[in-house]
Amino acid sequence: MATIDVTYIAYAIIAATMALIIVPLATIPRKLSFVAMVASTVLLAIILILAAYAMISGIDVTVLGIFHLYPFSEFFIGLFAFALALVNMLSYEYYPNFTRFELFFSFAIIGMFVVAMANSLLTILLGLELMTLPTAFMIMTSGRHHIEAAVKLFILSAIAIGALSFALALIFPYSPELGLTQIAPNTTFTGNYLISLAIILVGAAMGFEVAAFPFNLWVPDVYQGAPGNVTALLAGINKKVAFVALMEIFFVVFLQFQPIFSPVLVLLSIATMFYGNVVALVQTNVKRLFAYSSISQAGYILIGLAVATQFGIEASIVQIVAHLFMIIGAFAIVLWLESKNLRTLDDYTGLSSRNKFAAFALAILMLSMAGVPPLLGFIGKFLVFSSAIDTQSLLYLAVFGIVNSFISIYYYARLIDRMYGGQKKELLFMGNYTYAVVIVALAATILLGIYPNLLISAASLASKTLLAL
Amino acid sequence: MSILIGLMLLITVVASFLVLGLDRDYSKRIALFASGVVLAITILILITSLAQGSVSLSEQYNYVSAFGISLQLQMSAINFILVLMTTIVAFGTVLAGNPEHEHEKVANTLILLFEFAAIGLFTSANLFVFFIFWDVGVVALFFMINSLGSPNRRYASMKFIIYEIFASSLLLLGIMMIYFYTPVHSFNIQTIISSAASIPEATQAMIFFFLFVAFMVNMPMFPLHFWLPDAHTEASTQGSMLLSGVLTKFGAFGMLLLFSILPISREFAAPAAALAGFSTLYAAFVTMRQKDIKRVIAYTTIIDMGIILVAIASMNEFGTYGALFGMFAHGVTIALMFLVVGCVHHIFGTRDMRSVKGVVNQATSTAYSFLAGTFGITGVPLTTGFVADVLIFIGSIQAFGIIGALPLLGLLIIGAFLYFVINKSFLMTKDPLQRVDYIGVEQKIGYAFFMFFMFLFGVFPFLLLGLTNLQL
Repeated sequence: MATIDVTYIAYAIIAATMALIIVPLATIPRKLSFVAMVASTVLLAIILILAAYAMISGIDVTVLGIFHLYPFSEFFIGLFAFALALVNMLSYEYYPNFTRFELFFSFAIIGMFVVAMANSLLTILLGLELMTLPTAFMIMTSGRHHIEAAVKLFILSAIAIGALSFALALIFPYSPELGLTQIAPNTTFTGNYLISLAIILVGAAMGFEVAAFPFNLWVPDVYQGAPGNVTALLAGINKKVAFVALMEIFFVVFLQFQPIFSPVLVLLSIATMFYGNVVALVQTNVKRLFAYSSISQAGYILIGLAVATQFGIEASIVQIVAHLFMIIGAFAIVLWLESKNLRTLDDYTGLSSRNKFAAFALAILMLSMAGVPPLLGFIGKFLVFSSAIDTQSLLYLAVFGIVNSFISIYYYARLIDRMYGGQKKELLFMGNYTYAVVIVALAATILLGIYPNLLISAASLASKTLLAL
Repeated sequence: MSILIGLMLLITVVASFLVLGLDRDYSKRIALFASGVVLAITILILITSLAQGSVSLSEQYNYVSAFGISLQLQMSAINFILVLMTTIVAFGTVLAGNPEHEHEKVANTLILLFEFAAIGLFTSANLFVFFIFWDVGVVALFFMINSLGSPNRRYASMKFIIYEIFASSLLLLGIMMIYFYTPVHSFNIQTIISSAASIPEATQAMIFFFLFVAFMVNMPMFPLHFWLPDAHTEASTQGSMLLSGVLTKFGAFGMLLLFSILPISREFAAPAAALAGFSTLYAAFVTMRQKDIKRVIAYTTIIDMGIILVAIASMNEFGTYGALFGMFAHGVTIALMFLVVGCVHHIFGTRDMRSVKGVVNQATSTAYSFLAGTFGITGVPLTTGFVADVLIFIGSIQAFGIIGALPLLGLLIIGAFLYFVINKSFLMTKDPLQRVDYIGVEQKIGYAFFMFFMFLFGVFPFLLLGLTNLQL
């Protein structure tokens, strides 16, 4: 009885995911924007509930040999479904032609879920491609002045996908099966340079996707050039999907090579943190500032992955959740202000007198990014740095992280200072959907920060099942 | 198991959000009521504990159970004296209000939030909780400086937040290192004290360095004090009262913890005391160059905190309780002084001691309150400062010999300078400056309130010493 239930839930998640594509197809001809928004939000909510139920009951099944639903993937499916519903509502408010956007968006969503529940390298590759290409189209169809950003994203993600598929080709001779757990037994021997090359290529591809230094040069231009809701999607979710793929590949397929890739991840994380934070210090465009800030946040996430213990992965997962909510909330506000033609730090002067709530929310979200307790960003950073100190040999990584955390307070506090200073100007009003998205992101940041137990135990379960402990 | 500390925390934080959410007409009444209730609870604890001869409360609420972190609160004599100081200063700050009466709603919200953080910090039995309250307090005061005060406040607030976040980053690092290098992996202070000896010496030295620098920024001590004069001068009256009265005690309380936690701190005690003594003398000489009365008062904070660190570093009973008494005295006295200076600025429109003249003619109560505050700072008998100075210098002479009395020189210099200021600006009646505004009755009640506590525990020091096991 129980096993039948289990399989049904797994199939239900996959079916609901695939059903997402029907929504835009049905609504495009009649331009039923509102229906499309509601229907896809409801489907995402269903997926969220199913995933949460599956995770609580500890379901672990493989479907068709290509999808693997276990607490790790269920955790991320639930998380992404929640975040995607937010981005969905946000996009609805700003797109006159929402159904066309929804079409690409649905493809991207399916790509994300495919990556989260992938059971083979090939599935990961397809999922990543399914995610990034529609994202580029989303940017491209938003208007003529977005084309540069779209082309940059398209070319660079094509290179990343190319590197990943080349890595697959190098692995294939050694392992006839590309299932994640089936590769490891076939690649155990040492001195195999082709496998090492494959690891390097995977690292480079994932470096592009998660925007780690030095593969992050596209990030500021694309984030700035894309419309704000797509930027929220890119920074909030696409990057996290890439982290999921990175975890699945490095900690399931290549776990035995951990002594080789860990030092590389250490270097990547240090360089990424410093690059993001130092360059953010001199930014005057708020969107660019948050782009660099999200690069540095990727560096913090990489700390936990570089530590490569179960605790480290758990910490990274918490930091991923934290950054997801913070950056979606922040970009929702940035998008709203951009629609009022406010873009630079100077434009933000006196925001508090124009809309108290927006200034307050952005201030809290930025304090959370800077790692001020008792907010969620602090919990994430605390766990990440703790995991580095816990290994004792990586104490310096925690020191670098804390130094960066200190550097970052300058640009966050500068923006907060601007928002609360200046002369009184005319009031600005926020749309209902933006308001709802900001409220949810803010509530998650504050409540999960004050009471992180639930999140930490879920992350702990996810990381344990990833490592099959 | 009591619930009093938790109740105090709950009242302040709920009231803080109520003030933020409700109409501005209610803000002062709610703030006054909440901080009054908290003060009443503290005094209740004082009265009941005096009968027993000691105070000992401990409470525990669930927090991050995944790491065995819970909201552990405790109240011994050490914690109690600081909590009493916090509640007195916070209530007085709300009571007196800003003479300018602007942004009362924001001010009261932040005062209550800061009081919440300070009470939590001073009663924390757990370093993780200590760190969280520390940052909440710092952020509350950042907004306090940033949104209320003089025209140049935004520069000062940026300087403040950068220094303080630097401190809290080091603090976080130190705390995490303590957690992971003690064999039991605990944040509980008692557990750490009993097992800290097993941390390797080199690591202990590193942790000591991180934490010492962090607390040094906050106290503040000589090479890292540069945020203080700006922050105090640019902040509003209420902001300065809280900054100097309570926030600087965060660092001092941290120093007390640090010296009791790490066994290696015994080796660093003498250099720390030397640094503190130097800081005292340095600040005393810098003060003499100041023209702004508020800046003079700001620098006396560095002097007093230096003396308190000397007392902490002497690591004996007299030193410890002397430091606590010193913190109490300094908190109450400096709040009075900043209130007075804020009122002088309000009355005359300037704080420059070259132009302020004849305060005693124009605003008698303000002038005499300044005089009383000066008595408190310089440790004239019957003020709390006197009791503190006696205990502190007994302790430091016990620990370092006669050279331990050297920081007294800083106190003498600043005392002489303050009497010079009184003579020149407050009492001199030749061509007095005309006043431009009046202060309300709230400020005068505020003077009386702070003076009452300043003299109460000076005339009857056993009210606090009765809680300790100090034999005089």
